[in-house]
Amino acid sequence: MIDEGIDNYRESAAFTESEKVALEYSELMQFAPERIDAAFYERLRMHYTDAEIIELGAFIGFNVGYHTFFRTLDFYPMYSPDGRLVSQNESRRIYGRKPVSHLQGALARAQDGAGGEDSAAEEG
Amino acid sequence: MSIIEPIDDELAEERRLTDLLETSGERELNDELFLRILGHVPGYAEAIHDAMYQSHVLGDVDHRLKEIIRIQLARTAGDPYFAGLRSGRATAEGLTEERIDAGSADFEHSPEFSQAEKWALRYAYLMYRRPEELDRSFYDEGKLHYTEAQIMELGGLIALHYGMQVFMRTLQVGSFSRSA
Repeated sequence: MIDEGIDNYRESAAFTESEKVALEYSELMQFAPERIDAAFYERLRMHYTDAEIIELGAFIGFNVGYHTFFRTLDFYPMYSPDGRLVSQNESRRIYGRKPVSHLQGALARAQDGAGGEDSAAEEG
Repeated sequence: MSIIEPIDDELAEERRLTDLLETSGERELNDELFLRILGHVPGYAEAIHDAMYQSHVLGDVDHRLKEIIRIQLARTAGDPYFAGLRSGRATAEGLTEERIDAGSADFEHSPEFSQAEKWALRYAYLMYRRPEELDRSFYDEGKLHYTEAQIMELGGLIALHYGMQVFMRTLQVGSFSRSA
């Protein structure tokens, strides 16, 4: 559902029209804010109150700002596969050079021995 | 004129935002309009105002440098509203329009800025243009000039202000060119 909402929401039957315009709002805010004009806000108003639009817009703006920043920080899981709190250098050695997300099963992959091609090789 | 109507005094009072609006100008941050637009969601108005205050006014990094960065970002975002606001405190501390403009131009070759200031300006400049260049070696260079706390202070400032500037741009609020 998450991937569908990112990659295929326009054609997807999984989303309502109000959800689709909210997803488009988010997509445009990051990649083409110049296309969010008065006409686009009129489309939003067909589905949302002004308060809900502000709620969506500020939430999206906040996330556009912070996700790019956090992406540059190159951080790693805080815990080792056996549950120890580890430093970022140690985590990098455990999980490999390429950062992995908890949401993508970092712990499970590490426990399966698939931490990355240069696991335990990088000092950071 | 904003696409979303700012809340009026009656609604601001009903939502207990009057004190926040009255103090916004004193906090060197933003004028009432931004808060009145966010005031449609009172919790957002309070939280975002506080986060912007914390990142821009408090902290350990020179407020004047953060003001130059904030304006550089607003210009990057194409937002005339925040680009037109000025911190009264930064102005009182000697920040000039020439120095602000230098921070948005070829700052790398400007004698106006120290190496530490150039790194911070580069950090903001690259964040939403070429974030892939903000790699480990870039941060290692930053650590020659700033503590990790200061780098997080700068990163948080950049992320929050840019996000709000992009949002405000879409509301087509326009330029006010006045002190915040």
